[in-house]
This record gives sequence, C-alpha cells and structure tokens, in this order.
Amino acid sequence: MMDAPLLPLFILLTSLLAAPILFALPERAAKLRTAINLGMAALKVALVGWLSLKVSQGVIYDLRFEMLPGLEFKLQADPLAILFIALSAVLWLITTIYSVGYLEHGPHRARFFGFFSLCVAATVGIALSGNLFTFLLFYELLTLATYPLVIHRGTAEALRAGRIYLIYTLAGGLVLLLGTLGLWVLAGTTDFAPGGILADMAAENRLAAQLLFVVLIGALGVKAALVPFHRWLPIAMVAPAPVSALLHAVAVVKAGAFGIMRVVYEVFGIETAQALGMTAPLAALAGITIIYGSIRAITQDDIKKRLAYSTVSQVSYITLGVALASPIAAVGALAHLIHQGLMKITMFMAAGNLAEGLGVKRVSQMDGVGRAMPGTMLAFTLAALGMIGLPPLAGFVSKWYLAQGGLDAGQTWVIALLLGSSLLNAIYFLPMLHRAWFRDAAPEGEGAPGRPRIGWMLAAPPVTTAVLVLVAGGFANAPFSPLEWTRFIVAIEYQE
Amino acid sequence: MSLLPYLAALGLPVMLAVLLTWPKMRSLVWRIMPFAPLPALALALLGDLPMNAQAEWLILGLHFGLDEVSRLFVIFTGLLWCAAGASARHWMRHDPHATSFGVLFAMAQAGNLGLLLAQDALSFYAFFALMSFASYGLVLHSRDTEAQGAARLYIGFVVLGELALFAGLALAASQAGSFLLADLRSAVPSDMAVALLILGFGVKLGIMPLHLWLPPAHGAAPVPASAVLSGAMIKAGLFGMMTILPLGGVAYSDHGTVLMAAGMVTIFAALLLGVQQVNPKAVLGYSSVSQMGILVLGLGAGLMVPEAWAAILPVLIFLAAHHALAKGALFLGTGAFAAQTGLASKLGVTLALLVLAFILAGLPASSGGLGKEALKTALEAGSPVWLPWLSVALTLSGVATTLLMARYIAMIWHNPPKAPANPAAEAVLLPFLLVSAASVALPAVWGTLAQTVAAPIRLAPSGALWPVLCGVVLAAGVAVFAHAQRIGAGVFLSQLTAPFRAFGARADAIVAAKRRAARRLGHAVPKALGDTATRWRLGQSAIACLIALTLAVELGTTQPAETAISPVPQTDPILLQDLIPTPDF
Repeated sequence: MMDAPLLPLFILLTSLLAAPILFALPERAAKLRTAINLGMAALKVALVGWLSLKVSQGVIYDLRFEMLPGLEFKLQADPLAILFIALSAVLWLITTIYSVGYLEHGPHRARFFGFFSLCVAATVGIALSGNLFTFLLFYELLTLATYPLVIHRGTAEALRAGRIYLIYTLAGGLVLLLGTLGLWVLAGTTDFAPGGILADMAAENRLAAQLLFVVLIGALGVKAALVPFHRWLPIAMVAPAPVSALLHAVAVVKAGAFGIMRVVYEVFGIETAQALGMTAPLAALAGITIIYGSIRAITQDDIKKRLAYSTVSQVSYITLGVALASPIAAVGALAHLIHQGLMKITMFMAAGNLAEGLGVKRVSQMDGVGRAMPGTMLAFTLAALGMIGLPPLAGFVSKWYLAQGGLDAGQTWVIALLLGSSLLNAIYFLPMLHRAWFRDAAPEGEGAPGRPRIGWMLAAPPVTTAVLVLVAGGFANAPFSPLEWTRFIVAIEYQE
Repeated sequence: MSLLPYLAALGLPVMLAVLLTWPKMRSLVWRIMPFAPLPALALALLGDLPMNAQAEWLILGLHFGLDEVSRLFVIFTGLLWCAAGASARHWMRHDPHATSFGVLFAMAQAGNLGLLLAQDALSFYAFFALMSFASYGLVLHSRDTEAQGAARLYIGFVVLGELALFAGLALAASQAGSFLLADLRSAVPSDMAVALLILGFGVKLGIMPLHLWLPPAHGAAPVPASAVLSGAMIKAGLFGMMTILPLGGVAYSDHGTVLMAAGMVTIFAALLLGVQQVNPKAVLGYSSVSQMGILVLGLGAGLMVPEAWAAILPVLIFLAAHHALAKGALFLGTGAFAAQTGLASKLGVTLALLVLAFILAGLPASSGGLGKEALKTALEAGSPVWLPWLSVALTLSGVATTLLMARYIAMIWHNPPKAPANPAAEAVLLPFLLVSAASVALPAVWGTLAQTVAAPIRLAPSGALWPVLCGVVLAAGVAVFAHAQRIGAGVFLSQLTAPFRAFGARADAIVAAKRRAARRLGHAVPKALGDTATRWRLGQSAIACLIALTLAVELGTTQPAETAISPVPQTDPILLQDLIPTPDF
C-alpha cells in the first residue's frame, strides 16, 4: 500500500487519537466509548500484524522530524520494537475488554479510558522510539498518563500510592533526562543502532562511559523495579485490577526493561558494555532483585501484593538475560518480555475476578475458589505453573534459554539463581493453588453460596491469555512464535 | 514413522481428563478409563522398532521414539495403569472428590507414558513434571490429616527433584550441545551434572535419604493411586537414570560408590523402618524403597564399571517389570482385601497375597528369584571389591523382604485400609487377579516379550529357597517373641502350656462325663423301678397280695378245724365273743 512508510505513525495514532475523543465523550455514552475503545484496539492489532509481516520481510521503517538542530523526533520499526509493540497491541485489546467489564458501573469511565489510551500510546511510542530523546518523551508521557490510573479510586490510600509512584518515576525520569543530555554531549547523537553508538567514545573516555551507563540504567531501573528502586510497585497495587494488569505486564515495568535492552544493545552495544565491565554488576543486581522479590512475595497475604513482588522478581529475568551477554540468554530475556507479560496479566485479571466475583482479596481467603470459579482459577493455575517454570508453559522456555545462556557465558551461578527463584516461586504459588483446588470453601462467608456472577468480559480475558501462555510455550518452535521472533532479533543485535 | 500413534497414546488420557470436567460425559469417561493406556500398549506390542517421530514445532522440538528398553517399560506400565483404572472406576464410584481424582489420574498417566516415549530431554522433563505434579492430588485425595501431611512432604520432595532435574538436564544438554537423550547418554557430562541427575531421579526412586516422602504418600493415596505410584511411577526414576545417565560410557566411580552404598543402606534400613508401620500400604511403601535399593545396586555398579552395564541393563529391566507387577498387585490386593466382607473371601485374597509376597521375596523360579540370581551373575562383571558384599546383600534382601511381607500380611488383618462405602467386591478383585496372574506368569512370558534382552533371565539359576524360609522362620519367631513381649513372659508361658492344660482338662471332662453317665445310669434304674412301681401301684398291690396271701394261709390252716367242730349246736352269737379274749374270772 502507498502509505506504508507512515505505518508506525498510524499505529501510534490509533491510541493517541483515541484518547482526546474518549475524554470528550460524555460519561453516559458507554456504548460508543466501548465501540471506540475496542475498534481502535482491534485496528491496532491488525496494523501491528501487518507491520510485523513487513519487518520480517526486511523492510525497515524510519520516520524523522527535526525538532531542534541535531535533535530529532524519530520513530523506527525494527524487530525489537515489533516484539514490544505486538505484546502491547494484543494485551491492550484483551485488557480493554476486561476493563469495560470491570468498570461497567463504576464512576469516571471517560477519564479512565482516556488515560488508559494515552498510557498505551506512550507504550507504543516507547517501543517505536528510534532514539533516546524520543524514548524519553514517551517515557515521561507514560509516567503522567499512568498516575491518574493508579489513583483512579480516589481513596486516601490510592492518593498516597500515587504520590510515591510519582516521586519514584519522576525522579527516574529526571535522571534519564540527564543521561540523555550526557549521551548527546558525549556521542553527538542519541540514535539507537545495533551494535551501539558509543564504541569509539568508550575507548577514549572509559570513566565517562561507565558513569553514563550507571545513570541510564539507574534511571530505567526505577520503572523496571530493580532492587533499591522497586518500592513503588507493590504500593501501586491499589489501582484497579486492569490497571495493575497492564502496569505489570505491558506498560510501566516493561517500559523500563525494554529501555534497558535498548540502552545495552543499541546505545552501548553489548560488546562495549562488556568491555566497560558493566554487565557483570548489572547481572548481579538483577540476580539480587530476583531473589529479593521472591522472598518478599512469600509473606504477602494480599493476592495483588504477592503478585507485585513476584513481578519485581520476574521482570529482572529480562535484565539478567540482557546482562549475561550471551546470545542464548538474550533469546531467553526477550522471550520472557512476552512470556512474563502473558503470565502476569493472566494472574492479575484472575485476581481481579476473584475480588469481583467472590470478594476474595487475600491468599488466606482462597480456600475452594477453584470450584467456585473454575475457568478463572484454571487460567491462574496455568500462569502460576508457568512462572515456576514447568513445561510446556511459556515460563519454562524463557527459563531454559536463560539457563543455557548462563552456561554459554560461563556463569554457572545462573543455574543456582534460577533454581532458587523457581523454588521460591513454588513456595509462594503452590499454596495458592492448593487452597484453590484442594480445600473446601469455608461454610460461611460472602462468596460461599451459589456461583459468582461475572460477565464474559471478565471471564474470557484471563482464559484467553492463559491459552496464549500455553501456546507460546507449547508451540515455541513454530514460526511467528515469540521465541522465533526473539531469535530473529538476537541475530540482529549480536550481528551474527 | 508418523507422529500419529504417539499423539494417540498420549492424547487419549489427556482427552479423558478434559472430558471429565464435563458432567454429562463423566460416567462414559470412567468407563473408558481402564482402556486409556491401550494405544500406548498397542504401540509397544505391535510396533516395529525403532520408531522415531518428531514434532519440531512443539515446545522446543519434541522427539518421540521407542527402543527395546522403553518398549518393555511401556508394556508393564500400561498394564498396571489399565488395572488401576479399572479399580479406580469402582473405588471412586461414590467418592465426593471422584472427578478431581479422575482428572489428575489421567494426567499422571499421560505424564508417565509420555516420559517413556520421549526421546529428548525437554519433553522428558515436561512429562516427568506432569506426572509428579498431577500425583499431588492423588496423594492428597482423602483430605484427612494423614493425607495432608503426606501430600505436603510429597510436593516438597517433588519440587526438590524437579529443580535438581532441571539443573542436571540443563548442564548435561549444554555440555552435550544437544538435548536428544541419545546424545546426552553418549556425552561425558560433568560430575555436577551427573550428581544432579542422580539427585533428581533419586527422589522419585526413593533412594535413602530421599525416600522420606514415599511411604507416607503410598500409604495415604487411595488404593488405585498407590498401585500406580509404587508400581509404575517409581520406575520413572529408574527409567530416567537408565536412559539419561552416561551408563556404559565413562566411569563415574565416586557416583557409583555413593549409589551402591546408598542402595545397601536402603535395602536394610527400609526393613527396619517398614516393620514399625501400622498402615499396611506404608509397609508396602517401605518394601518398595527396599526393592529400589536392589535396583540402585545395579545402577551404581554400572556407573562404576561401564563394561558391566551391558550385562546389568537387561536384568534391571526385568527386575523393574517384576517389581511393578508384584507390587502393583499387592497394592490392588490390599484394596481387594479391604473390600471383602466374608471370612472365606478374605482368606482367599490373603492366600493370593501370600503368593505375591513370596514372589516379591524371591521364591525360587519366580520372577523375584530369577531376577535376583541374574543380577548376581551380571554384577560379577562389576567391581571385584564390591562383589562379595553385593552378593550377600542380595541374598539377605530376600530375608528382609520376607519379614516385611509378614508384617504386611499381619497388618492387613489388623488394620485394613478404608474401603468405599459400597464396594463392588468382584470388580475390585478382577484387576487384582489380572495383575497377579501377570506377575506369576512373568518368567514364562519374558522370553517372547523381551526377545533380545531376555537371555540373562533365561539362563539364570532359579535361586535359593533358604532366604525366604529363613525369613518365614524369623518372622514367626519374631511374631512369637513380640507376642511374649507384649503380654509378659509368665502369661506367655501359661499360654504355651495352655494346649496341654486344655488337653488335660478335656480328658478330665471326658472322665467326668463318663462318670456322670454311669451315675445317671445308677440313678436311672431305681427311678425306673419306682416309676413302674407307681405306674402299676405295686406297693398297694403287694400289700393287697400280702393280705390276701396271709388271709389265704390263715384260712388254709383253720378251715379243717372248723369243719371238725361244725356239729357245735350254738354258732350264731358265739363268733364275736370268741374273737375277744375273755378275762379270767
């Protein structure tokens, strides 16, 4: 088609243009709002499908607008961008359906869906950014767009959580701004390019390059919830379930992880980063985060909090895979970007269904919920077993590649780390499954009698994503699976 | 070779599990459940070896295949799952958690058959995990305190085993540069990888000290589940070691030594722990642990001396089949026993169980005796230092098993497991008798079944009777001693002399009875006389007679004189005055 070069821009606009329309719609126009939401989301999935077909055929999209001399607004669609954008497009569609069901009679729906669209637009922008400057713009937009979603309920607790969220992420954004400026000064450009743009400069000025690495990764580490900067994530759990789902699976956390990938692979280049001696500390930090998050998860009784600490742990698999500097580990890391997204969104939507359908919000209330909501809990079970890393679920595939990558890089401790993490995952997920399936519900309690009434808009999305978890793992070797795509990306990033 | 037979073999149990969630299909699914392993059995019995098939698009590329080893494993595993399925159908008929049991039963079955058919590390691991995790629900089934404790222990060890297995497979695959099992087996993995694999499979096999989960789990699970847990699933650990460890390649003498030492300890320590159990199924569980110790001896010898492996492997397959059938039958028989109500049928089942117990203990010419002798022969190719010890251990294991079996037989009478409320006794009995028959017939059919690997069994001597006899005598002795201990020596002695005293008392009683009879006779004559006398009014008659007689005599003596004085003129007033003595005036 003739408008093909502008395809990335159209994809961005599907959600960016939807936002003002949704804001403008009156609160009562629920049907129209739903139509716009779902229509745009479906349109985006179609466009992303088309785009990924084109990119897989070797077409590179590159759109630039010069904003200041030497400072460009640049959109590009490379295979790495496709990976993230495909995840966000598919999960946006599913989460939109879920949100419509979840907020069916809630207040402030215009506001909610407006910011929801804006948040997804920012994510798409982050994925398509062709340089760090553009990335920074969308990264800040993401912070601002998610804040109203976190405080959507307007309770004192929500406001407090929002404040903490804002402090962390804005501080991170500020540091990222500094880093971007530093990069611009040092390299004269902020473009992302396979193999990095800092190879020459790092050889000349090692200390400055190391400092830049620390600043950039530190800034991105806030959203990626690396250990000293992770505190906001469990607190932000007061947000409504679909927001938590999106936050954990696609938007905020993944934006951080994706940024780390871009910075390590395409700003520094994996060889340069390794030469600077920065990958080993990053891997160690990721390792600490993985174990710390899991240990904290064990003691959480609140289901969403437990899931949040689990996210802290699981997202660092991605960072770990990047930092191991082995192409095999990189495949695991990139695949986990998708796999963790699918698993975690399933679990959050399932947790939302438990709260909506049965009023169950705590692990200790989960007795017998499997019998009451079999579909939802089956989805939850698949996702949890995937997190533990059982084949043929998606989590196993990424874990297997991380293990093989660790051995490939000569880092045998990665095996021990993965074992420890799996063990901890088992410790905090298996009791939930035990309660859900093998215990009988307490005789009294609000949810006990009768089957809970939840509409298909709540019931179907977690089941769909759970099926995707099964498919992504079970058909990992099939063409166009996330794993195949990540192999394609890694071949580019490692310039094989 | 097409993929289709493999998909059918594994798809049928999975499909049954899925269909069970649909209430309308439940009764049909339970009806089909016993036949779920049939596609796999058909594949193993009718297929031409080797049958490799692959699905590159599944997970990270699945490879299926059957070789001489896995074929035999599929046959006995499938048979056991058939019998357990038939038993489960009746066992679960009125159980409130029947559906949950059925789903997990079918999933565990798919995992168990799948891991036997897998030819690459990832699908093996996938099926192994499916089997292990699905069995959690089987152990927990009754939901009582005992089952909850057993299930918690079970899942802990499963997670431990799975982690060790993951790490071991990841290391081995990385070192071999491939994840095909054939490549792993022929590669030289690091010591660490081998140790992790042994740990991972050792949990399933119950090598001490990794056995802790096993007896409680087998004790707590319902009968059909414990039959497959102990008969079929335990063998997955053995199968994993046999197909993944680099046996027959490079010597791993440290690992071999550790395994053999663990095996030795396991054989006899399981006896000591097992005889203290009250639950008959837990006793059987310990017996399984003890028997696995025997198999571990073979594995250890193979790791230590690779040249010996070619001789050991066929024997281990036979021993695995032997234990699977005998132990599976014993577990099913425990259920069959519990389901009987009459004394005669209980005694009948006990008799059948006794036969199985003797087979397990190694009765000469039974599968147990043959297998043990064949293993002894095969181990001769192994380490000469260990050989005498192994030989002694194998012989004594017969004594140990006999003792455990004696305990088991005693405990099914004392403490039989709970049977379902409304047991169909014949339906529970049939699968038991089927597997028992298979167990008895195993030595006879092994030649045609195993073909190329049957030679060591065909040539094996039938084995000695004395360990079993020794076990029986010891068991009897122990029973007597324990009895004496329990009731105190004095009471026991009095119990010992009781038969003699009883005999004496009986004789006394006979004499007394005779006396009584005589006395009765003595009493009887006068009484009879008396009776007759009464009947005939003898006394009165006699007196009457006497009077009559006296009168007659009187009359006889006075008549002539009267006639002599008859001419007396005055007779009329005289008669009375004559009678009254007249005083002398």
